[in-house]
Amino acid sequence: MIIVLKPGSSEADIEDVSRRVGEMGFRTHLSRGEVRTIVGVVGDDRAKEQLLALQSLECVESVVRILQPFKLASREAHPESTKFKVNGVPIGGKEIVVMAGPCSVESRPQLMAVAEGVKAGGAQILRGGAFKPRTSPYAFQGLEEEGLKLLQDASKATGLPVVTEVMEPDKVDVVARHADILQVGARNVQNFSLLKRVAECGKPVLLKRGMSTSIQEWLLSAEYVLAGGNPNVILCERGIRTFETSTRYTLDLNAIPVVKKLSHLPILVDPSHGTGHWEYVSAMAKAGLAAGADGLIIEVHNNPAEALSDGPQSLKPDRFAALMAELRPLAQILGRSL
Amino acid sequence: MIIILKSGIGDAAIDDVCRRVTEMGYAPHIIRGEFKTIVAAVGEERGRPDLRLLEAVETVESVMPVQQPFKLASREVRPEPSEVRVNGVSIGGQAIVVMAGPCSVESEAQVQEVADAVKGAGAKILRGGAFKPRTSPYAFQGLKEQGLKYLADARKRTGLPVVTEVLETESVELVAQYTDILQIGARNIQNFTLLRRVGEMGKPVLLKRGMATSIQEFLLSAEYILAAGNPNVILCERGIRTFETTTRFTLDLNAVPVLKKLSHLPVVVDPSHGTGHWDLVAPMAKGAVACGADGLIIEVHPKPEEALSDGPQSLKPSKFVQLMRELRPVAEAVGRSL
Repeated sequence: MIIVLKPGSSEADIEDVSRRVGEMGFRTHLSRGEVRTIVGVVGDDRAKEQLLALQSLECVESVVRILQPFKLASREAHPESTKFKVNGVPIGGKEIVVMAGPCSVESRPQLMAVAEGVKAGGAQILRGGAFKPRTSPYAFQGLEEEGLKLLQDASKATGLPVVTEVMEPDKVDVVARHADILQVGARNVQNFSLLKRVAECGKPVLLKRGMSTSIQEWLLSAEYVLAGGNPNVILCERGIRTFETSTRYTLDLNAIPVVKKLSHLPILVDPSHGTGHWEYVSAMAKAGLAAGADGLIIEVHNNPAEALSDGPQSLKPDRFAALMAELRPLAQILGRSL
Repeated sequence: MIIILKSGIGDAAIDDVCRRVTEMGYAPHIIRGEFKTIVAAVGEERGRPDLRLLEAVETVESVMPVQQPFKLASREVRPEPSEVRVNGVSIGGQAIVVMAGPCSVESEAQVQEVADAVKGAGAKILRGGAFKPRTSPYAFQGLKEQGLKYLADARKRTGLPVVTEVLETESVELVAQYTDILQIGARNIQNFTLLRRVGEMGKPVLLKRGMATSIQEFLLSAEYILAAGNPNVILCERGIRTFETTTRFTLDLNAVPVLKKLSHLPVVVDPSHGTGHWDLVAPMAKGAVACGADGLIIEVHPKPEEALSDGPQSLKPSKFVQLMRELRPVAEAVGRSL
C-alpha cells in the first residue's frame, strides 16, 4: 500500500507513520515530493486492514491499495487457469460448459421433460432450484428436499450432473448429498458463514455475483471458499443493478475479461437473469462466449407461460436447441469446443 | 395509458376521470377489478396531451404508459431495419462497419499515420476528435478547425469517410463542412437544441448514449433528430455509469438486442470507452458483434503512451490489425460479414 501524507506534514508525523507501519511488520520506503510525502509499504499487505486504518491519523490524506486484497483467487498467485471435472464434465478448459434447466423444480413430469430436452439440446449439466430465494414471501419457495430427490432422479435418468442452490449453512449437507455442484446465489454472495460451510463440503461451488457486488468484493467471496480448502470454484456473472429498467438487470460482460485477467477461476454467464427476457437470451449468450466466458447457465422450461418462477426469461426446449446449434460454430471460431 | 384509481372510490370519481380522458381526446374504457378500478385511455398518445397529468387528480393512484413514447424511432412504425449510407459505406446492413482512429486529432502526421493503418486493417470510417469535451478544463481541448482540416486531408488521402464530434449548435455548420458523420457525444445526449440543429442539417448523425441515459431516453433523443427531418441516425452504446469501478464504464451490451427490438436504427458499440482499458477492448468488441451490433467504433493511436487523451483505452495499430482479423470469423458465425 501507499500512504499519502497531507501537505505540510512534519518530520515527526512522517516518523510516527513509519514507526506504526514498522510495528505491523512491514518495511517502509519514503518518497519526498515537492508538495507531499508518500510512505510506501513494502511486503505482502493483502490481508492487512490495519494499514487502511491509518487513514484515521490526522496527517494521512489517503491510503491506496496496490495489491489486490485476494490471494488464492488471483492470477498472480496461480498463473494457469483452473480446470476441473464434475462427473466427467470438464470446466474451465477449452470446452465450453452449458448448464440448463428450469428455474424451479416444480414436479417430476416437468423436471423430466426439461432434463430430457436440455440433454437433447446438448447441455452437459442440469440446473434446477429446490430451495428458492424469492423476493416475496408469498411466492413459490421451492419443493425443498422433495425437489432435491427429483433432481437426483433426473440426473440418474439423463446422466447429467446437477447444480442447485443452497441458501443456508444448515442445508449444505443435505444439498451436497443430492447435487454435484452447490450454487451460492446472488443474494448470498456475502453470506460469509454459508461461504465457509460450502468450502468445507468439498463439492464444487458455483458462486453467482450479487446484483451490487463489485468484482473485487466478488473475488473476495470466492477467496472465502478457496481459503476454506475448496479449490473448485466457478464464478457466474448474472447481471448487476443499474438505472436501466428495460432489462431485469444489466449483464456486465466487461466482468468476463476483467475476471479472466485478475483470476484463474472459470467464469460462466447467466443470460437469463442478466436480461430477464427470453428473447434477449440468445444474443447475450453469444456475446458471453465471444467475450471469453467458459460457459453459460440458461433457464429452460417446457411451458414458460405456466412456470412457477422466471417464466418470462425461460427458453422453450426447442429454442434452447436452436441456440445451442448457433453457439457451436461461434465457440469453434473462438478456439473453444461445445 | 392505463389509469389506476385509488381503492374505494365511488362512481362519481370514475365518471370524472372518464370525462377528463374524453376531453383530452382519448376514448375511456373502464375495467372494474375486485379491489381497484382501472381506466384504459385508448388512442394514439404521441402528439396528444400527456395523460400522466391525471396523476394530479386526487382519486388517481398512478398512470402507467403502455406505448413507447417515441414514434419515428420505433420498429412499430418502421418494421424493417434502417440503413445509413455514408459515401458508399452502408451502416445497418449485412456488413459490420468498423470506425477507428485516434481519440483526439493531435497533429497532421498522427492522423495520417493512424488513418493509413486503420484503413489497411479494414476500417471503413475514420474517427477523430477535433472539438473535445474534456472533464477537466485544463485537459487538451482539441485542435478545433485545424483538426477538422487534418481529418479532411486524411479522408482525401485514404478515401475513408470521417466521423467527428460537434459540441455546440454554433459549430454545427463548420463541422458539417469537413465531416461525413456528425457525432453527438455522451455528454450532449440531452442537449436538445443541438439535437434539433443536427436534425435540420441532414448529415448522418452518430448519437452516443449518455452515461446515465436510459434506453427510452436515448431513443427519445434520436426522435428529436428524426422529427427534425433527418432519418440518418446511428445509435452508439458506449458504457453506462454503475457502482463498478474496475472498468471506466459498464458496457451495457443488453442494450444492443433491446434497441434492435424497439427501434429500426443501426446500433454500433464503443468498446474503448465502454471498458477504458485497451486489453479489454478485443473481448468486448467480439461480444458486441456476437449480440447483434451493426458496427464498432474503436480508438487507435500509434503511441498510446503519449496520447493527449484516452491513451489507456487506445489500441496500437498492430493490435487493431489483430482484432480485425479475429472479428471477421465472429461476424461470419452470426451471419454477418466484415
